[in-house]
Amino acid sequence: MDLRTRLGKEWLFCDGGTGTILQEKGLKGGELPETWNLTRPEDIKAVARAYFDAGCNIVNTNTFGANSFKYDNVTEVVTAAVRLCQEARHEAGRDDDAYVAIDIGPTGKLLAPMGDLPFNDAVKVFSEVIRAGAEAGGDLVLIETMSDSYEAKAAVIAAHETCDLPVIVTTVYDESGKLLTGGSVEGTVAMLEGLKVNAIGVNCGFGPDKMIPIVKRLAACCSLPIVVNPNAGLPRTEGNRTVFDVGPEEFSSIMKEIASLGVHVMGGCCGTTPAHMAALIKEVSPLPFKEPVRKHGTYVTSFSECVEIGPKPVIIGERINPTGKKRFKQALRDNDVDYILTEGLKQEEAGAHILDVNVGLPEIDEPSMMENIVFKLQSVTTLPLQLDTTNIEALERGMRIYNGKPMINSVNGKREVIEAVMPLVAKYGGVLVGLPLDEDGIPATSDGRIAVAKKIYEAADEYGIPRDDIVIDGLAMTISSDSTSAIATLDTVRRIRDEYNGHSILGVSNISFGLPARELINSHFLTMAMQNGLSCAIINPCNDHMMASYRAYCALMNKDPQCLGFIGAYSEYKSDGTFGGASSGASGAAAASGTGGAKLSLAEAIERGVTGRAAEAMEESIAQGCEPLEIINAELIPALDKVGQGFEKGTVFLPQLLMSADAAKAAFEVVKKAMAGKPRQVKGKVILATVKGDIHDIGKNIVKVMLENYGYDVIDLGKDVPPETIVEAAIKDDVKVVGLSALMTTTVVSMEETIKLLRVKKPDTKVVVGGAVMTQEYADQIGADAYSKDAMQTVRYCDEVFGV
Amino acid sequence: MPLGVKIPEKEVRRYMGLRGPVDISPDTDAMIKKAINALEKDCSPKHVSRAFPVTVEGNEVRFADVVIESRSLARNLAGCTQCVLFAATAGPFCDMLVKRASVTSSAYASCCQAAGAAAIEAYCDLINDKIKDEYEAKGLFARPRFSPGYGDLPLENQKDWFRLLDITRNTGIELTGSLLMVPTKSVTAIIGLSPDRLPCVRQGCESCTMSAACTFSRKE
Repeated sequence: MDLRTRLGKEWLFCDGGTGTILQEKGLKGGELPETWNLTRPEDIKAVARAYFDAGCNIVNTNTFGANSFKYDNVTEVVTAAVRLCQEARHEAGRDDDAYVAIDIGPTGKLLAPMGDLPFNDAVKVFSEVIRAGAEAGGDLVLIETMSDSYEAKAAVIAAHETCDLPVIVTTVYDESGKLLTGGSVEGTVAMLEGLKVNAIGVNCGFGPDKMIPIVKRLAACCSLPIVVNPNAGLPRTEGNRTVFDVGPEEFSSIMKEIASLGVHVMGGCCGTTPAHMAALIKEVSPLPFKEPVRKHGTYVTSFSECVEIGPKPVIIGERINPTGKKRFKQALRDNDVDYILTEGLKQEEAGAHILDVNVGLPEIDEPSMMENIVFKLQSVTTLPLQLDTTNIEALERGMRIYNGKPMINSVNGKREVIEAVMPLVAKYGGVLVGLPLDEDGIPATSDGRIAVAKKIYEAADEYGIPRDDIVIDGLAMTISSDSTSAIATLDTVRRIRDEYNGHSILGVSNISFGLPARELINSHFLTMAMQNGLSCAIINPCNDHMMASYRAYCALMNKDPQCLGFIGAYSEYKSDGTFGGASSGASGAAAASGTGGAKLSLAEAIERGVTGRAAEAMEESIAQGCEPLEIINAELIPALDKVGQGFEKGTVFLPQLLMSADAAKAAFEVVKKAMAGKPRQVKGKVILATVKGDIHDIGKNIVKVMLENYGYDVIDLGKDVPPETIVEAAIKDDVKVVGLSALMTTTVVSMEETIKLLRVKKPDTKVVVGGAVMTQEYADQIGADAYSKDAMQTVRYCDEVFGV
Repeated sequence: MPLGVKIPEKEVRRYMGLRGPVDISPDTDAMIKKAINALEKDCSPKHVSRAFPVTVEGNEVRFADVVIESRSLARNLAGCTQCVLFAATAGPFCDMLVKRASVTSSAYASCCQAAGAAAIEAYCDLINDKIKDEYEAKGLFARPRFSPGYGDLPLENQKDWFRLLDITRNTGIELTGSLLMVPTKSVTAIIGLSPDRLPCVRQGCESCTMSAACTFSRKE
């Protein structure tokens, strides 16, 4: 019988440990267990046979680590493993009721941005294994021991894209219920359910007793069959041996207790044996079986955060969007990623729960930009994202590499749009915003909007997207052109809650377009909408009025226990309307902007490293009609130089230099804003990169800030950059200077390779190198043009090359 | 899960290149404290360790199935009968904090970077002390910990640590192709255990061959 029809309908049992049994049979410390599929097939078959004989229904192939990072002959190793498992099943007489699981473990590599393995490469590596397993006749894909939800996502996508076998995923949590990468039980379940796996569970980690609290949490949020495969206790070393202390009897009695928590598939992991499984099956199979129950939570997640929609209104930051923002458009055209990230971080500090990401501009490559910004944002913020685009390719690329379960903005009632967007949500998972408009336009009344909403819900049913994952937009439109429009919107929001038990969302500020004092209308409208059941508000969280409405509403409606959130935000509130420290500044910058800078000149503010004042002084000068370039040359650069000279002489230390650099950067940002859309004057273009194999880039980042302050246009290629990429970039923009950084002797090799390749392909480009192990001598040895011991020297060197 | 150990501010300042009692602005001082607080609160440190018998003959050190030729390690382990290999990480939070700060403030990024370095050292000291106490009770005395990449012990030997301790699975540390560890605030080390109590052997910078050239070296 097909496994899908049995999962969640009756008790099923996985196998126990493999690695630990092979060690008993003589597998050595560093020996790869999967090699035995070819060298000692009888031993491998015997392990599987013992598990089939013990009564297990789902037995793993010996392929846990069989990937191309460890094997050149993956297909051969995997095919042999599947065949051995099938033979064991046949010999055990279990062909009719037991399944061969293609076992997939972690690659052993960390995925980018944390590590160096790109997401789509991980998908490829998993695909190779799964394809071989499926072609050899495996019955399901069992993805296990995942401690990073992102890697689990890569494996699931690989499974769905290479075969149509059922997929089970089990992950490893620590005692606090977190994955190694910080994900929670609830967030992991939300993401995996969105990815349409067939069962979800836990394995390995520690002994069965310690798993109980985690299983309880799983059972509370998971709508799919739940799998529990613990170790036989914590591993311990005795001499050179690893031993486990929980015997079959103890194991099975704790598992019996776990079975009653609402679990559907049980088995074991490290240290468990066929005897453990036989005891487990004897204890558990007579127990009454409870089918999984559909839960109704709506979760948007990142790799570590999990935002629930429903219990209280969710704030979605709207600032990552070029509409009507010259400076933002300029940043998109210049690929100024840091500016966009800063917009995100500011909103996070101001209290956003989710960030909307809209990077569409006709003249840019939106799909690449979306992918890049999603990736970069997820490397600096833990907030979940809302991918906001009408470009389907941009949407798919963003959803694919997104780490977690995103929000999607949006679908509407048009058939064509439904057919483009919903398959993506069905594949990758996501909480989908539905705009109640269709081929006939935007209905003016709530009746009309509810009718379209109904159509969207029904389409979701059709695509297998749970209605819980649909959020209907009430469509806020300005009251300045139709004074009944707020009423229609509020009615829609309320009826979605009352008639559909559904969730709603609004782009709140649209309501006041064309009016003065928009924040007054917006903030009151927000309160009214929340009172009518609004689930998600897309607003500018840096606007004090908006956040005041939100916090006051939560305090008044018992959604802010002991009013702690409100008190925390407004303890410094003055009745003249100044809001105190609730929502100012970006991280780090906030700490630097403070003390006593009120009357400093621009030069003084930079010398003393007072970021806030430096920006303000620049604004004042521009407001007085001074020419920005004039201010830069007469005040900013000389101040920066003074600090730089102090640093070179050893009287100023690195932190002070960096504080000044930050202050200058803030002043520059003001200039950029003032000059957005106009051509910029730059001294020259410089490429910076941390070389292939190296991931330590803080030094390079400091050099970047300094060069930018001194008027250079920096092309920052990031870290772990292959020589070819650097050379290509140098040729493309005819760049005169390339700066390379490397931390360790092991990566200086790639520095040398990069220089050699540059010499061949782009001989007129100068190379300046730096990094912890670099010395002048070492730099000469690898053929660099110059060595810089710090950021200031790099600036001086570039000034020399560019003759400024 | 918090770091579980205090990050010494003095060490953070040293990693930032501040030598001695340098007068820094209150803003910088506040940033250092902010970085320390953030890391003490949000790090999720992990470690794994395992003991092996060890033999030292000349410059050749043997434990488990590993044979290492290293003068400095052999000196460190002279007289030892046992050793403990360990790996520790402050977790991925610190790397993210540095990356995040790099976007908004390079000064704060350097504070976080330095605080992270001090955090993993403090965490290693904690584990080191536990190991030391555990074995002293059994009559074995710990030598200062020693890491691959130190002295003439090649970084290449990281691979042995990763294999023998199953570090990736146990702690989430990955060893990249270029032998660097991710998260970056991670350490692998060996602690020799000897039946003889030695007079206090000087630790860290003083025993490192790179000490003279190193910017961060402890020296007055």
